[in-house]
Amino acid sequence: MVRSIADRAFLPTRGLLEEVGDMVVLTGRTILSALRPPYPYGGELVSQFLFVLRLVWFPLLITTVAISYGAPGIQAANFLRLAGALDRLGGFFVLAAIREIGPLITSTVVAGIAGTAITADLGARKIREELDALQVLGVDPVKNLVVPRFLSLMMVTALFDLFALLFGLFGGILAAVVNGQPLGPFWATFFANTTTVDLWGSVLKSMIFGAVIAIVCCYKGMTASGGAEGVGRAVNQAVVITFLANGTFNYIFTQMLLATHPNILVIK
Amino acid sequence: MATRQQHRPSGHQGEAEFQWHTGVHHPTGVPDAIEFIKVYKAFGANHVLQGLDLGLPEGRISMILGPSGTGKSVCIKHMVGLMYPDEGDVLIEGQSVPSLPDDELFEMRKKFGVLFQDGALFGSLNLYDNVAFPLRQHTEKGEDEIQEIVMRRLHEVGLGDAIAKMPNELSGGMRKRAGFARALVLDPKIVLFDEPDSGLDPVRTALLCELIKEVHAENGGTYVVITHDIMSARRVAEHIAVLWRGRIVESGPTAELLESENAFVRQFLSGESHGPLGMD
Ligand SMILES: Nc1ncnc2c1ncn2[C@@H]1O[C@H](COP(=O)(O)OP(=O)(O)OP(=O)(O)O)[C@@H](O)[C@H]1O
Ligand SMILES: [Mg+2]
Repeated sequence: MVRSIADRAFLPTRGLLEEVGDMVVLTGRTILSALRPPYPYGGELVSQFLFVLRLVWFPLLITTVAISYGAPGIQAANFLRLAGALDRLGGFFVLAAIREIGPLITSTVVAGIAGTAITADLGARKIREELDALQVLGVDPVKNLVVPRFLSLMMVTALFDLFALLFGLFGGILAAVVNGQPLGPFWATFFANTTTVDLWGSVLKSMIFGAVIAIVCCYKGMTASGGAEGVGRAVNQAVVITFLANGTFNYIFTQMLLATHPNILVIK
Repeated sequence: MATRQQHRPSGHQGEAEFQWHTGVHHPTGVPDAIEFIKVYKAFGANHVLQGLDLGLPEGRISMILGPSGTGKSVCIKHMVGLMYPDEGDVLIEGQSVPSLPDDELFEMRKKFGVLFQDGALFGSLNLYDNVAFPLRQHTEKGEDEIQEIVMRRLHEVGLGDAIAKMPNELSGGMRKRAGFARALVLDPKIVLFDEPDSGLDPVRTALLCELIKEVHAENGGTYVVITHDIMSARRVAEHIAVLWRGRIVESGPTAELLESENAFVRQFLSGESHGPLGMD
């Protein structure tokens, strides 16, 4: 009796912790089997890469321009105008777009578009027992399905981060122009504040976002159960977990980057 | 006739729930290729296998019979190492499956051909490529030879004209027959069929049973067929194990099981509505 009450109270938490543990194990196995020969996943990697590229580029373009123009552009411009420092918009962009918004938009859009597709696809295969059949036929699903998705999502998010930065910048320029500002000071403060650390930090962060999306979405797909409904549930949970994980990771990463590179704290 | 009395359930709810489970195992005269030793498996609060003791003789066609939801598919997944027991052991030709390291497990699985319950065809490959998959994966055969084997297997199951179809264009019965062809394409030593006959019309079921017998006579090997269908069992089984509530009720050569005194076995093998088995 006591046991069943305790079970009811703690089982969900225990279940969650177990899942997180399983995902960590899956990450380890994925990295190991990516490195250990043979490498049968080349074809799947290319096709996944192109698949994600094709699906994501346009929504990402619209989202980055719109959000960069809207959030740091219009809102920050308003605030900077109050301080009479509208020429600092470029510098603010480095902080906002490169360090934070670029990677976050990229990961959100990739998770929402490519991550859900991965979970739905693997989930459907799990339900149809295709994954079981593969394993019995001697095909390791981690090596042949998870590894290519893991690598391609990491590459894609890194690439798309640069893409998002570029179009985010376009949104910023738009904001400066709309505010009747000459672009000279925008670029001046932009370049004064940009360091290589900002750039590789942004790209690295995005890559890890991509890795998290791949692991969570593959895990949720491969463990889906309960028919078509179960696949829907898995997709939903995959997105929720990805956002939570990436949000948490983003905080840790930002703190670590600032702690190890104190010079980028100083706004010029 | 010597019968081996296996352990009887003891303790709390056991008595009533397992009163028909005599666990009698009539001797078969050959060693067991597949053995379950006191296997327990639960999914959360759902106790599926509850101390399963099962032996399936080498080189015979065995059938596992049992009502829906008793864990027959779960049994198959234990045999190929897709699921691990919570307790107990599963032996394939004397090798303990749960304790095999990954690479040996992959090696061991090459002994098996498996037909999953819904065919488990690969959705991205057409019918031909699905059946050719094991050959391309595990042999060095050239495409000509592969084509010859694949077409022979597909004609056997009556799908010779549908080779270019994708799995989602096939009916359930067709997918099952294609899965059947794929399971046999490597001439495996142990073949597991999860309900090869469900979803087929009576004539096709009879033909499929004939086919199982023919292929077995031709290639030999240990066949394990899961079914609800008593007619199929009478037609092809050389050995029958009756599974209920995660334990064997009784098992042995077909003739002896058909003569069983056990009320549950009699009810199940004759398909009557009154007896120990109800809707619960
Ligand atoms: N992966 C799983 N996770 C949770 N529960 C499972 C899983 N696989 C099977 N079960 C449960 O185990 C029980 C037995 O399932 P199983 O598929 O083995 O039945 P079965 O005997 O094959 O029935 P049927 O004849 O209808 O196919 C069911 O209650 C099912 O819900
Ligand atoms: Mg089943």
